[in-house]
Amino acid sequence: MVAPVTYIQSRTTIRRRRLLDAEGNVLVKVGDLVSSADTVAQAATSTRHIMLDAARALNVPENRVAGLMQRQIGEMVEKGAIIAGRRAVGARLLRAPENGRVVAFSGGQVLLQVDDESTKLPARLAGKIVDVEPGRGVILQYSGAWLQGVWGNHRYGDGILQLLAKRPDHVLTADAIDMSMRGAILVAGHCNQLQALELAGQVPIRGLILSSLATRLWPAARKLEYPILLTEGFGRLPMNQVAHQLLSDLNGEAATLNAQPTDPFEDLRPEVLIPLSDAGTPPLPTEAENFRLGQTVRILRAPHAGEIGEITALLPGSTLFPSGLRAKAAEIALSKRGHALVPLANLEVLG
Amino acid sequence: MSEKRPKSAPSLVTVDVGSVNTRAQFFDTVEGSYRLLASVQAPSTTAAPAHDLNIGVLDALEQVEELTGRVLLSERGLLISPDEESGAGANALTATFSGGPILKVITIGLLEGVSLTSVNNLVNSTYAQIVDSFSLGDRRKPEAIIDSISQTKPDLIVLGGGTNRGASRSVIRLANYLALALKLLPENLRPDLLFVGNENLQEEIESLLGALTRLHLAENIRPNLEDENLGPAAHSLSRIAYEIQARKVPGLDQLNILAGGHYHPTAAAFGRSIRFLSMVIDYPKGMLGVDIGASSTTVAAAFSGELDLKVYSNLGIGRGLNGLLEETHLSQISRWLSPEIAEEDILDYLYNKPLAPQTLPATEQDLAIEQAAARQIMRLAIGKSLAGFPQDAIYPLPGTVPWFDRIMVSGSVVAHAPRLIQSLLMILDSIQPVGIATIILDQNNLAAALGAGAEINPLLAVQVLESNSFVNLGTVISPVGKARSGSPVLRLQMVIDGEKKPVVEVNEGSLQSVSLPMGKTADVYVYPLQNMDVGLGPGHGGWVRRVVGGRFGLIVDARGRPITVPSQPDRRKANLDNWQQYLLES
Repeated sequence: MVAPVTYIQSRTTIRRRRLLDAEGNVLVKVGDLVSSADTVAQAATSTRHIMLDAARALNVPENRVAGLMQRQIGEMVEKGAIIAGRRAVGARLLRAPENGRVVAFSGGQVLLQVDDESTKLPARLAGKIVDVEPGRGVILQYSGAWLQGVWGNHRYGDGILQLLAKRPDHVLTADAIDMSMRGAILVAGHCNQLQALELAGQVPIRGLILSSLATRLWPAARKLEYPILLTEGFGRLPMNQVAHQLLSDLNGEAATLNAQPTDPFEDLRPEVLIPLSDAGTPPLPTEAENFRLGQTVRILRAPHAGEIGEITALLPGSTLFPSGLRAKAAEIALSKRGHALVPLANLEVLG
Repeated sequence: MSEKRPKSAPSLVTVDVGSVNTRAQFFDTVEGSYRLLASVQAPSTTAAPAHDLNIGVLDALEQVEELTGRVLLSERGLLISPDEESGAGANALTATFSGGPILKVITIGLLEGVSLTSVNNLVNSTYAQIVDSFSLGDRRKPEAIIDSISQTKPDLIVLGGGTNRGASRSVIRLANYLALALKLLPENLRPDLLFVGNENLQEEIESLLGALTRLHLAENIRPNLEDENLGPAAHSLSRIAYEIQARKVPGLDQLNILAGGHYHPTAAAFGRSIRFLSMVIDYPKGMLGVDIGASSTTVAAAFSGELDLKVYSNLGIGRGLNGLLEETHLSQISRWLSPEIAEEDILDYLYNKPLAPQTLPATEQDLAIEQAAARQIMRLAIGKSLAGFPQDAIYPLPGTVPWFDRIMVSGSVVAHAPRLIQSLLMILDSIQPVGIATIILDQNNLAAALGAGAEINPLLAVQVLESNSFVNLGTVISPVGKARSGSPVLRLQMVIDGEKKPVVEVNEGSLQSVSLPMGKTADVYVYPLQNMDVGLGPGHGGWVRRVVGGRFGLIVDARGRPITVPSQPDRRKANLDNWQQYLLES
């Protein structure tokens, strides 16, 4: 059975493809070093258009509009400028209602693009450009620490890691937050206090790494302007020891917190990236693998949710659980103490 | 090893890839009749970290090989077909798939209540999310279509409108807007386009849009104002959905090759089975099928071969719980919990499950929460589907389901519940059937497999559907009407092998089984009291012939419609426990 993996690594190499949604220009070249906030590509995009009924304005059949166009596709026009019409005195004319660019015409309609924004594609990863896809984007290579979370609030930020959680079962309260944390990415434990989340936004901090969040704070957390990442999930769950140790060790380092939502098909998860200058080029993360003896795993569901352990036996056949369900199971030596029988479906490997 | 079979009776392997589980079945003839010989399950590997659905497929097929002692795949990983004299291989393999990313679709029609509704019905019959819709009555300016396409980045645009002798100019105008929008996008980022409107315009649509994107043409889904004809377009939509998903899901094209092109979306195959079964049911009663998955829930209702199929891509017991929480209040879920569980604990479970949808409830509390959520998912899905059921379906009361003769439920959370009574209660509490209906549990996830297999071999579908591969939980009699709490609402008497059994009287508010051995046939005289209706008319009784005993014999559900569960915890627990007490397995 292929084991789900959560990566918590102190030294690794990651390759990421960063692509524009539209055709554009790549601003970097192979070998360039970029920071996570650097723009690697950009595209001219527009979200507002005006459709002009040229056939009606010129009082001609649709198929004659093309012959009366006075502007080319892509041409800029100013408000009031002639777009189409006969070059004759008193002839009907189609004029631009706003400044814009003629971007298409079809079936007697002319489409005017009236804003000209550019979409910038940030690197979101400090590293080296190892490949360029012309017009679309780049492949980046990053070396450093990497921690995947289980939930993120769709925000992104860079800052210095500041450890508040001296212990994995830390609880974040508002009185622990002050102005000295401005610009930091805080590492805390569980949070069940709206006031703490709001105060952190007022400081403002650059990000918040929590072990868990009270479910009732989910709506508020989604709306906050700064990124929040949960390492464990919802409810009162302490941070797993592996993640806590890594974040403790890297206290004070510059980090990127990408609290993107999980998309299993695109392989996207919320993550913390901490580039390390002395990382060298450590090996790429291990590929998907089956469950096997000796693996360090995290238990995802009650009665041992959030606990870490090691697989000591893969049980044959199926095992009966207190719920009455039967499932393939493993015996886990819990890092705290004791053993537990856990369905394989409720385990993930810590890579 | 399997016995030799006549060439006219080919064997079949079916594979179904869901978002969490991949299942495989093997069918062959036993004593001249098709039987299910193996049914297995493996974790799906479509998404991270494996990113190759065929790992899960091979895992499942290896389990089938182990169980049957039959080698199915060649060294090159292809199906050994036709099956060899040695007993290796199978004659065919079908594949069904529901485990990919949901398609983002923009729907466009002329009139909101007519063609746009039909286009939406079409799209809602597969794993898709409608990200925006437009009609001529839309208050937004025409350029909103263009802006929406560039903002929502749909995988597919479905354009309908115009009867075959009807509107043309308006449809072409909409097509022109689309042409403009498509020209703005780079070729490799343009969505597919399906035209399901006025067939007389197909040539013009082709010349306008054919060079701009992958244009698909299908029969008009609204050939006249009165009729909706989704069948042929739904077939095209299934093919287009495959083409789009094959570009995104590693291994899907190999699965299609392995299946020799016998590939279907799971919902479409499930719907086909339900439609097929409805054809042997006397009108006006119909057949209902519900398939509750991790990411989505499918409701298929068919009356005399006329199918209404709806896929709720945001309602499921795994990732689909996000959709449930957006659409329902917690009390609608917790009302089904007998043990008192803190609201916070329920929410924690419901919010954490989508983060790891493959996980199983190992504790009694987690199982209770999951089964309560499953009830509400099915209840919501059924409620949403009612409006689309055929107009001539008959409803005894507003808000109830129509009269159904059989109800089939698939999906692990129900079909693989630890105890059958849990499966039965989840079905009765959520669907709340009316009249007289037989409850069938699809424990082996066969409904979709047989729907796909029917294309290759209709005989197989008939014989397996009639075999004991499905679990008959029992025929349920549910009288509807108004009666005082606790007062008698129904009397019934069974005649088994010519012997009259004692009269059973059932009181309002109760749920109980009446002993009828599994597989045994009885004639049942039903006599509703207080003007209650069991489908024979208010207060009318009569014989119900050849009722077959299920795992719970014959069931009488006199809890009224809709079922009311007390909000006070002690009374709720008493009610829920009481309803379990008199349901006895035969």
